[in-house]
Amino acid sequence: MKIILPDQGIRVIDQSPASIEQILSDLRINPLEVIVSRNGTLVPEDTVVGADDEIRIIRISHGG
Amino acid sequence: MGKKKRPSGTPSCACCTEPSVIYQQHSHRHLCSTHFIHDVEERVFQGIENNAMIRPKDRIAVALSGGKDSTALLLLLARHLQRWRDVSLIAVTVDEGIDGYRDETIKAAEQVAEKVGVEHHIISFQDLFGDSLDTFLKSREEQACTVCGILRKKALSEAAKKNGATRIATGHNLDDEAQSVLMNVLRGDLPRLVRDSAADTSDCFIPRIKPLAEIPEKEIASYLFIQGLFPFLAECPYTRFALRGDVRSMLSGLEHRNPGTMLRLMESKKTIEKYLARSSVSDPLHRCRQCGDPCSGDLCQVCRLRQSLGR
Repeated sequence: MKIILPDQGIRVIDQSPASIEQILSDLRINPLEVIVSRNGTLVPEDTVVGADDEIRIIRISHGG
Repeated sequence: MGKKKRPSGTPSCACCTEPSVIYQQHSHRHLCSTHFIHDVEERVFQGIENNAMIRPKDRIAVALSGGKDSTALLLLLARHLQRWRDVSLIAVTVDEGIDGYRDETIKAAEQVAEKVGVEHHIISFQDLFGDSLDTFLKSREEQACTVCGILRKKALSEAAKKNGATRIATGHNLDDEAQSVLMNVLRGDLPRLVRDSAADTSDCFIPRIKPLAEIPEKEIASYLFIQGLFPFLAECPYTRFALRGDVRSMLSGLEHRNPGTMLRLMESKKTIEKYLARSSVSDPLHRCRQCGDPCSGDLCQVCRLRQSLGR
């Protein structure tokens, strides 16, 4: 599956199916500091995603 | 969690059969977009009512940076004020003068103010203090958030006063509030810890309200993303100098491992406030001998800062 990282970098991983929780943990990202969409739709971290999914991780903690 | 997954791999909403978009740790519920938006709005509206944040005939100035928190605040207040015919809303944006950053957020602020249909006022450090933040911070970047915080607060008050506001609403969320509690403890600043900016001291300050103070940051971001309104903006270039950044990472790590940490921190603050008479830890209010603004010492923070900046 394709993962778009907060810095806009792209990573393709083979591990499928996988939970968003697991993906974030592998990337050492705290789920409280991001929101995650699957194919453009917001999903909770216990969602299980598949090989054809595009996952986008968006960082939310910003100084303003 | 452990809820039955739909074929799509997403758990269902606790209130209907739609796929959920979020798991709320505090309510232990999965919610779909419709029920989540309703839940956030009702919590914010209830908080406003319970804490009597708005009074009849108020004119509320929303501090609108263009970032996610102030964008959500403006949308939520505009929706809430449909219930209040005699209360008006304006938006105020402070242009500190941060090259390569603020122009984009001002554009975002203008767009959201236009979408909501509120009067929008922009006040700049250049006009008010004679120079941009970038200029003030030459060779003292590590003081960025302190300098900016003091001047921004003053700019906001001036713009609110000039436009007849009776309340200033800011987009501080639960994470911001919990970070502030911890930062004040780490600095040993008890007066600031118990200071109540909402107290009605309208002869001195315009009271401030924080309608999002009980909503976690992640829920605010989700609330906007679902509605296609999440502002994708760069981070302030001075953020890396802030103590808040370290506190933010530490607290969100603690919250992740020990859910409820931030709420308990806020409860601790309330308990301390309950047992402390505010007047016993705060200095009485005086007038600044230079500008006449209310302050706790001889000089207000802005005049002290101007002195230290050689202005």
